[in-house]
Amino acid sequence: MSADDSAAPRGTATVVDDDDRRILARVAGGELDALEQLYDRYRTVAYSIALRVTGDGALAEDVLQDAFLGAWRHAGRYAEGRGSVKTWLLAIVHHRAVDAVRRRRPTSAMPETEDVSPRALTLPDVWGEVSADLDADTVRDALAVLPDAQREAIELAYFGGLTQQEIAVRTDAPLGTVKGRMRLGLLAMRKHLLERGAGP
Amino acid sequence: MTDDRGLSHDEALERAAPFVLGALEPDEEAAVREHLRTCPQPHDEFAELGSVVPALAEAVEQVEPPPALKARILAAAAADAAAPSLTPAAVPIATATPAPVPVPAPAAEPIPIDSRRRGPSPVSWFLVAAAGIAIVALVAVNLMTLGRLNSSEQFQRDVAAVLDAGAQPGAVTAVLAPTETGGPRGLAAVSASGDVTMAVQDLAPTSGNEVYEGWAIVGDAAPVPLGGFTVGEGGTGRLDGTGVPAEPGMTLALTREPAPGATTPTLPILTAGSAGSGAAN
Repeated sequence: MSADDSAAPRGTATVVDDDDRRILARVAGGELDALEQLYDRYRTVAYSIALRVTGDGALAEDVLQDAFLGAWRHAGRYAEGRGSVKTWLLAIVHHRAVDAVRRRRPTSAMPETEDVSPRALTLPDVWGEVSADLDADTVRDALAVLPDAQREAIELAYFGGLTQQEIAVRTDAPLGTVKGRMRLGLLAMRKHLLERGAGP
Repeated sequence: MTDDRGLSHDEALERAAPFVLGALEPDEEAAVREHLRTCPQPHDEFAELGSVVPALAEAVEQVEPPPALKARILAAAAADAAAPSLTPAAVPIATATPAPVPVPAPAAEPIPIDSRRRGPSPVSWFLVAAAGIAIVALVAVNLMTLGRLNSSEQFQRDVAAVLDAGAQPGAVTAVLAPTETGGPRGLAAVSASGDVTMAVQDLAPTSGNEVYEGWAIVGDAAPVPLGGFTVGEGGTGRLDGTGVPAEPGMTLALTREPAPGATTPTLPILTAGSAGSGAAN
């Protein structure tokens, strides 16, 4: 996690978001030093997710380059109210990472689009509300407390880059069951994070 | 509601979890996107489930990327900005893998080329130069770009000199950003032995005994003078001096002094930057 947004007191997330939006506006204006700022803020978390998904340091570097280049080109398309800049950026990174690993497989490829944050996905979110009060351990706990099958489905999808059909084959479960596990797992994580974020 | 791809509202909602996790096949994902774009009904399920996804990134063990990646990314972006006629895939970008993932084309829907890519961006091309230190292949492109963007061949040569200096083992480089809008900006390199090369543009001409003086600041230590140079009507200047050995994080700055030989800087600082490692950055 970037030092800029970790272990921050409550309310700092909003300040970070405001700073991020200002930086992104400058990125949209073609200021490369703003892109450098954005990179410095989120390089660690971005690289970490890329590395986790790809399992390959060199490929993760390519993913990051791809993602930040995408942010550079399309910063102007970011819209306030569609989630934080961090969420937007990490969605691009994740999308690119999954795309990269799927290109290595003969199964499927991701559609090429920068619009990784459809409006309904990035409404004011639980993470934005409570992230300032959560640490990585709490997030790991939220995953760890899930039933194995739910955690596996989420991890294979998000970190493994598998499609739901591939997960169904891998886990020998009906497709509907896989969808259900993902949904229930995400809802349980949300509840866990909200409780930890809102409470002492 | 059923959209023109035949995905009903319920069918879209059923795909919310795999959608937010990126686990749909491309055609299904496109269908969901289209549904979200066109369906007037609420889609709270997507927001509710999707709100958790950013947290997943935080659950990953945090690993620092290689320092060189930053320069590579900035160089790619700078080249992208400075060369509107080049498609991203045509820009020679050094990669760490034998078979790199190609820089993808813009989004499926047409994306207009920003106006920023049609004209010069002073900051951009400085960073082209800075990042080019790490990417030999880009240097040639960048220098050609500099030639297009700035008529000062002298300054172009000065930047090339900084690039050369910054590429030496143990060297650090810094992008010098103006402290005020429209102020001077440039690029500097410090060698392991303390030799300094600095190229700056957008400087006001000096007069009389005036000089521009470079400074190195390491930690809380007093600024160390690096040497001075005068500037003519061209507005560009180059400093070849000596100060303190390269150290990542050191600050390089420029002031205007009434006469050569200043031992303390005369404020304001006109332009400054923090140094990262050079060739390895």
